[in-house]
Amino acid sequence: MNCEVCQLKELEVEHFEIREVLRCILHTIVFHRALGLVRPKVIDLELFDITYVQCGDGELEKKIDEKIEQFISWVEKHPNKKSQVCISFYEVKNKHPSWFTNKTERLYWEQWYINLNVSQQQKVHSGKSHPSKIVVDPGENSLEERSNRRAALESSLREVLFQIIKFVNEKKDHVPPISDGVVYFPYEITIPSSSDSAFGMDMIKRMLQTGHPTMLS
Amino acid sequence: MASSHGNSTHSESAKTEQIITEFFAKSLHIILECRSPLMSSRNFSGEQALSSPSSSSSSSSSVRPRDKWFNLALGECPAALENLDLWRQSNFEPVVVDVILVKRGLSRTQSLKESSNAYSSDHEEVLSGSEEKIIERWIVQYDTRKPREKGSTSRRTSSNVLHTLYKKSILLLRSLYATARLLPAYKIFRDLNCSGKLRPFTLTHRLLSFVEPFTRKEESEMQRFSFTPVDTSSGRLCLSVLYHSSVSDASSESSTPMSPQFIPDYVGSPLADPLKRFTSLPVSSPSSLPFSRRHSWSYDRYRASPPAYFSPSPTHSEPPAANALQFGPVNLPPQHPDSSSVHKTNNSYDEYYPSPNFTPSPSPSPPVYMHGNHLSNAALLRTESAPVCIPKLNLQPSLPMNDNNRPSRGSKLDMSTGLPNTGVSVEKLIVKDDSKKHYGTKISAVNSSQCSISRSSSRSFLDDFDDSDFPCHFDVEDDDPMYHGSRPESFDKKSHIGDQMDPQAGGTFPIKKSQDAAVGALVHMLKKAPPLRQELSTSTADSTHVSSIRAEHPLDSSHSVLVASKTTADALEELQGFKRMKDCLLSQGGGTCNVAAGIWK
Repeated sequence: MNCEVCQLKELEVEHFEIREVLRCILHTIVFHRALGLVRPKVIDLELFDITYVQCGDGELEKKIDEKIEQFISWVEKHPNKKSQVCISFYEVKNKHPSWFTNKTERLYWEQWYINLNVSQQQKVHSGKSHPSKIVVDPGENSLEERSNRRAALESSLREVLFQIIKFVNEKKDHVPPISDGVVYFPYEITIPSSSDSAFGMDMIKRMLQTGHPTMLS
Repeated sequence: MASSHGNSTHSESAKTEQIITEFFAKSLHIILECRSPLMSSRNFSGEQALSSPSSSSSSSSSVRPRDKWFNLALGECPAALENLDLWRQSNFEPVVVDVILVKRGLSRTQSLKESSNAYSSDHEEVLSGSEEKIIERWIVQYDTRKPREKGSTSRRTSSNVLHTLYKKSILLLRSLYATARLLPAYKIFRDLNCSGKLRPFTLTHRLLSFVEPFTRKEESEMQRFSFTPVDTSSGRLCLSVLYHSSVSDASSESSTPMSPQFIPDYVGSPLADPLKRFTSLPVSSPSSLPFSRRHSWSYDRYRASPPAYFSPSPTHSEPPAANALQFGPVNLPPQHPDSSSVHKTNNSYDEYYPSPNFTPSPSPSPPVYMHGNHLSNAALLRTESAPVCIPKLNLQPSLPMNDNNRPSRGSKLDMSTGLPNTGVSVEKLIVKDDSKKHYGTKISAVNSSQCSISRSSSRSFLDDFDDSDFPCHFDVEDDDPMYHGSRPESFDKKSHIGDQMDPQAGGTFPIKKSQDAAVGALVHMLKKAPPLRQELSTSTADSTHVSSIRAEHPLDSSHSVLVASKTTADALEELQGFKRMKDCLLSQGGGTCNVAAGIWK
């Protein structure tokens, strides 16, 4: 099976925007790969005038958030770098894979690359937990700059979302058949940190996290 | 087509047909669910959690048969179902969904509920004054003319074909679901579903089985997004949407007619110049432009309205603003001595109400009063504005500290609109009494106004009035030139009158109904105000008020919050309080300021 790859347009984000931007993109992707019964959950972004759709799965949401946190902490250690988050969908060859080994074979049939360019300039002002309240006035010019930049990012983000939708529309043949009771296809999210020393642990963890729920259900 | 070939094919085509039918139903459902405000409002209100699966987490409610189709559980959407039943009888005719933005006429703005009910059915032309614009056109169709026979299709088993069809339909519907929420029209829908907000526009829809062609111009303004068709054994499912990429503009345009109503009354932004507004409104419609703009702007700010499609488009608001202004002068004649005061009240009301100090302004009801005003209403208005303004405004001017305040001009405190209001409101009340003692209070208010006015003429004039400190915020305004130009008449009067309190001025105003007259009245008010102020300072009640007000000033930055917190109920309460106060004043005739202050409390 061929593996389709989608490179999403690079987004220039500030540190405090990473969370929302990634959530929005990752959930949108997964929503289109959740072909089981879903009750869509509609989310309005706080930082942008954009609405996206989740598939309303609490577990999934939690895992995506965890992954995003990992990514953010990686970004903090590696400032001023372009970085990539990859979400891949795969099929597991073994019908009854054992969770604690790497034996199971994953056939990747799709990969999405989210390209982020994190700018650090505003990091000082940004609080982790209250990104939306950051807007202190650093002077009119910079305020204006900020709003311009924000608007630019918003439209880029919207473009990326449309890019996802178009890709989903154009490429349908490679999507594996739907299995009963499986809400979303098994996926894995890769962030730059996976090349760190924690790689092994990460792999196992990822297996547990991603492979597990889908197969059980 | 394939039905003639044997059982398996027959069942396959039947299933295909069913999938197609359900696909239509689901697409309609998805589209209408997020375009038809009434139907989906439950999703936002949370009242009917069970029926709003889309907003609840997956675990919650039971799965209905319809939800299982395409593995997409949606909320209920009666309109979609109704329409679907009709469509089912039509043998796969295309479904064209036009999403229409309806801008309501001014008169209708207050009866939101009525009109929205009316909209629920497809075609009703609800409002005579409304304006319709198609902002989206969704086309769902099953194209049987050129069935694409792929070589592979024939080799596959029918179940595989069906599975593929089903899977692709699911994918298509997923992307439809997400797309419908990414398009600009969704913002309008979301806006409409925000509870507690009155919108001058709404969304409705129209379902047709054919395409009513757009004009070229219309079409050129729209963008098309075509979903990739899904092939079936006998045709293909097509979905596309034409949409306006700048719908937000449209909605904002529509919002403008409304904004004049609301904003003048309730929303006063500290940033906006009160004087400017005053002058601009009465003077001429063209000058009202800045006025309207500010209003709309302030509206956004203080109403705590959601992000805003409402972006103020100043241009459209002019006419309504002019109307609002005119109303003031019309009222004047009935009450001669008071007429000036009434006029003043209106102005003060408009300008100051929104000020941070006045938290009470939030409710939409006040605008209603304004428009509805007849002669009798004028009294109400008066009372309304007066109570609101007085407590806060009076305080500052009356304070012994006035001299101290001067240095603070231009500071945030000065900026607070509340001060000017108090003066005006006090005036109204006092004017009736005509007792000089009361004038003292008036004076304070007047001072502020005078300051703004006088500053062009001479600083010394300001200095004469101790109260002038207050007015600072007026001084700050850049718009003054307009102000002066527009009201030369009034200005002169002022200068003439100077320190004197002239009850006569009121008499002149009522006679003139023109905008100039209104301006004159305004000026008059300002003049009168200064002497009164001193009195206020003496009254203990007032001083306490002042202190409380002062305390509030630091909060200016957060005033928007305060405003937002007020409810319509609060506003009503206040209004009634004012009414009572007014009655009391009237009955007492020569009543003292102190009494009034007590009542206000």
